[in-house]
Amino acid sequence: MSDVTAVPGAETRPGQPAIFFNGRSSRRRQVTLTLGDALEIADPGDVEAGATITRWAYDEIRRADSPAGILRLTATSAPPLARIEIRDAAVSADLVARCSRLDEHQTTGRGVAKIVGWSLAAAISIVCVVLFGVPLAADRLAPLVPKPIERRIGDASEVQMKTIFGRESCSDPAGQAAFAKLVNRLRDAAGLDDDAMTAGVLPSSVPNAFALPGGKVFVLNALLDKAESPDEIAGILAHELGHLKHHDNMRGLIYNGGTSFLIGLLFGDVTGSSAVIFASRSLVEASYSREAETNADTFAIDIMHKLGRSPKPAAELMFRITGKEGGSGFTILASHPLTEDRLARMTKEDRPASGPPLLTDTEWQALKSICGSGKI
Amino acid sequence: MNDMQWAPVGPSEPVPPPLPSTRVDFTGNRTEFRKMVTKGAMLELVTFGFYRFWLVTDIRRHLWSNTAIDGDAAEYTGRAKELLVGFLVALAILVPIYLAYFLVGIEFERWQGFASTPLFISFYAFGQFAIFRARRYRLTRTVWRGVRFWMDGSGWAYSFRAMLWGLLVFLTLGLALPWREASLERYKMRHTYFGDLQGDFEGDGWTFFKRGWWLWLLTPIAVVIFPLAPFLYAEFKAREWRWWLNGIRIGGVSLSSDLPHNAFYGLYWKMVGWWLLLSTLFGLYLGGATMLVVQMSGASAEQVFGPDHAAKSIPLLVMMVIGYFALALAINIIMRVYLQRDLWAKVLETVAVHDIGAAADVRASGELASALGEGFADGLDVAGF
Repeated sequence: MSDVTAVPGAETRPGQPAIFFNGRSSRRRQVTLTLGDALEIADPGDVEAGATITRWAYDEIRRADSPAGILRLTATSAPPLARIEIRDAAVSADLVARCSRLDEHQTTGRGVAKIVGWSLAAAISIVCVVLFGVPLAADRLAPLVPKPIERRIGDASEVQMKTIFGRESCSDPAGQAAFAKLVNRLRDAAGLDDDAMTAGVLPSSVPNAFALPGGKVFVLNALLDKAESPDEIAGILAHELGHLKHHDNMRGLIYNGGTSFLIGLLFGDVTGSSAVIFASRSLVEASYSREAETNADTFAIDIMHKLGRSPKPAAELMFRITGKEGGSGFTILASHPLTEDRLARMTKEDRPASGPPLLTDTEWQALKSICGSGKI
Repeated sequence: MNDMQWAPVGPSEPVPPPLPSTRVDFTGNRTEFRKMVTKGAMLELVTFGFYRFWLVTDIRRHLWSNTAIDGDAAEYTGRAKELLVGFLVALAILVPIYLAYFLVGIEFERWQGFASTPLFISFYAFGQFAIFRARRYRLTRTVWRGVRFWMDGSGWAYSFRAMLWGLLVFLTLGLALPWREASLERYKMRHTYFGDLQGDFEGDGWTFFKRGWWLWLLTPIAVVIFPLAPFLYAEFKAREWRWWLNGIRIGGVSLSSDLPHNAFYGLYWKMVGWWLLLSTLFGLYLGGATMLVVQMSGASAEQVFGPDHAAKSIPLLVMMVIGYFALALAINIIMRVYLQRDLWAKVLETVAVHDIGAAADVRASGELASALGEGFADGLDVAGF
């Protein structure tokens, strides 16, 4: 049955006690082992000479998990759960010496090195995808997202926004006319289609403006309150139009979804992984977002120049709202460029007005009171 | 500690059956286990967590093969590669599900703001399914006397029950928890087999409720006086374990346990102590690292954190990341040593097995289950027993 010959020091040792489980029943059998050409397992309860239950060739024998002090074996030719348990140290040592492939199936040092190597390769590839692949995919895919889908996502976020701010858009007719005039001039200068966007003013005490997917631009009323000239609001609107033009929402969505997923995959189960995931996500996403904001600023500068107005007032408005931002916390985590840097950049692009004012004084006053003269 | 002593201890255990019971022995070497998880935790860091499949398998192999019932040690035959494949397949299934979740969520949001929040519940249901299937995987890799355990039953039927009971627990502010556990455990155990012996669970919710209702009342107090929380949790876990073990039946074999109600105090306080110590060390390390960076760069602390010196804060960032990983590694190790190994040993030394003779000649049966369930559980970050 076996051609294992010439095992050094091999001699036949008959009748070593052991416990045998045949893998088909949980019956515990006291057996005797004979270490001959192959391992012979016999039941001494059977007085006849043919008491042999089975024979295992030495090169088929594998080690199974066992507590210390017990050698537990199985064989590739036997039923998968058949086991022999040997408690005698000398017999165990003898058997171990005879079985050349005893530990072949266990993870060795080389196996561990292989796991480490492959994991590192996987990690490097994930990092490369996060740093280069996902931004590229986001840039290429975002313009290809069909308009209806983008609009649906926009509708969903609009409903959310209105749930947060709780009210409908401001609707003072004169204010709306002025707002529409301003938005239309900017839209034409930006080269966006008529149906590409809608804009509105929401009543809120937070001074901000944002662009939603599907071309929805919203200005919050508090921003109008803080603004001192139409150019300030125009510059900010132009910035939001820049986001629309560059498909920044869809790019951000694809990019953030992709990076979250990949970074989550990378740090699977290390304790406190959510903290690591959060930190590394914030880091890469912030840098991506800063880049998008800088590009939107570039766009806003171009539009304002095209209209013959200066981009500087918009930056001054932002600076009035945020104040100096540097010096607080880690700027590497900021989603926007620092306001003072943006102000410096827009000041550099400051040119004397060469075009007509965007709104007349009456229109400007109407716009400022679009949400009613009362304060919120 | 004295303030807990007025607690009513549950009714005394029924008198054990007259036949001599068998003890369960745990012979695992603690040092060996600690070395194993230390090495494993380091490899987990080096491999960005991919080593977890091998470490989890090694831990189970150690715990199983050192647990002997009636003199015969159990064996865990699962392998890490199965877990890895299960995880990858689960990922391939979960990705489209996440995408669909996103798209359906948009439709809901269009209709009403934040209407998609309940969709999150579907992930809970999926998690329960994963828990059931992961248990099936582990059981079919559990072998004793050359015969494996196995399970039938449906993961979705289990998940459905878990959801309904979960709703009831939610509505009753947690009071229905004992009945939920009893019902779910009954479902799991009745679909559990050792060879051709069918399992059962005889614990009932009322018994568990009587043993733990006052813990429910004290929970709000523990939220305010938080040093009480580890005591309360330890009490709860000990009572839960004891109730669970006393309910387990497989064929004619039954288990009983006399786990004392204060069995886990030491374990949880050691965890808290280690955690405090490690956090303090981490804090000191961060302070030291900041000082070092400030001194090396010769700039003031204000400048180091300032906007124009973002580049200079990179060494600090690197040191923070290294420190954080060391902290995670250490917590990983102590959690596995105390909450897995020590808890296991502590529970097992109280367990007695009755009528083990009923399992003397059991015919092997049941098929191996795939590790997909474990993959889902891993992908969804749920754990269950």
